[in-house]
Amino acid sequence: MRIAEIVGTVTLSRSHPSLAGGTFKLAVPLSLDNLLDREPPQAEELVLYDELGSGIGSRVALSESREAAAPFYPEIKPIDAYNAAILDEVRVDPLLPSPPNRRGSKKT
Amino acid sequence: MFVAKVTGAVVSTQKTKAMVGHKLMIVEPYRLDQETRQNMKPVGRTFVAVDTIGAGEGEYVLITQGSSARLTPETKELPIDAVIIGIVDSVHVDSQCVYKRED
Amino acid sequence: MQIAKVIGSATATIKHSSLVGWKLLVVQVLLADGRSPDGEPMLAVDALGAGPGQWVMISSDGKGTRELIGDNRTPVRWTVLGICDT
Repeated sequence: MRIAEIVGTVTLSRSHPSLAGGTFKLAVPLSLDNLLDREPPQAEELVLYDELGSGIGSRVALSESREAAAPFYPEIKPIDAYNAAILDEVRVDPLLPSPPNRRGSKKT
Repeated sequence: MFVAKVTGAVVSTQKTKAMVGHKLMIVEPYRLDQETRQNMKPVGRTFVAVDTIGAGEGEYVLITQGSSARLTPETKELPIDAVIIGIVDSVHVDSQCVYKRED
Repeated sequence: MQIAKVIGSATATIKHSSLVGWKLLVVQVLLADGRSPDGEPMLAVDALGAGPGQWVMISSDGKGTRELIGDNRTPVRWTVLGICDT
């Protein structure tokens, strides 16, 4: 899971029938520099499936790829990003040095 | 998932047997304009995605990528990695509308 | 499996039921120079009591994660397999 910030909402006029019940949120994955307030989030936004009721500004545990659909097993839902937790607090050690090459983005 | 615009359809006569009868669309991922945060703009890539819900050219859709693309009854057996799972009606950022579908 | 540095922790009240009772660490995989972050920080479930500054071995094995957590519907990917001594 990565840490992501909720920045918006997406509504659908028509969707795959298996997706009823959750809502879709626009989220941006956070880098170490984002978490340390060294720079604003710039990563590409993604849309996650939310059953927990996150709001704008919430920081969430972003579950991706196959694990994102695991909560529905044995049902199948075409979901590749899922809100696993609304984070109350994220504590990060500010002593880790800032990266020289900071735009690396890794899918996890 | 990500938001993308349907920009065309793929016509393919010679294709692997499993793909016969499935609608394939060309989609362009869109993201929030970083400067204005008031509209969406294309990121410059294109994908091919299987359509399960009847999306049309010009529509904004929601795409699921990777092995999760096969997690529908329609795509379970297909050798695919991207599927259209919804037609986008609206996108709001910081409670401001950045996209609204025209009826 | 990867080696990552524990750089923090996170808490959550509203979460998937499989996360109840587990400690969430914020870990960062580093490049070969041992300093530069490789991608974004990740959240890993920890049963071993690793703390900030320690190096840990993390695994993304789905089966291992499901067995550790005891829930085959967990959305968790990364778990701490070991704390590195050296």
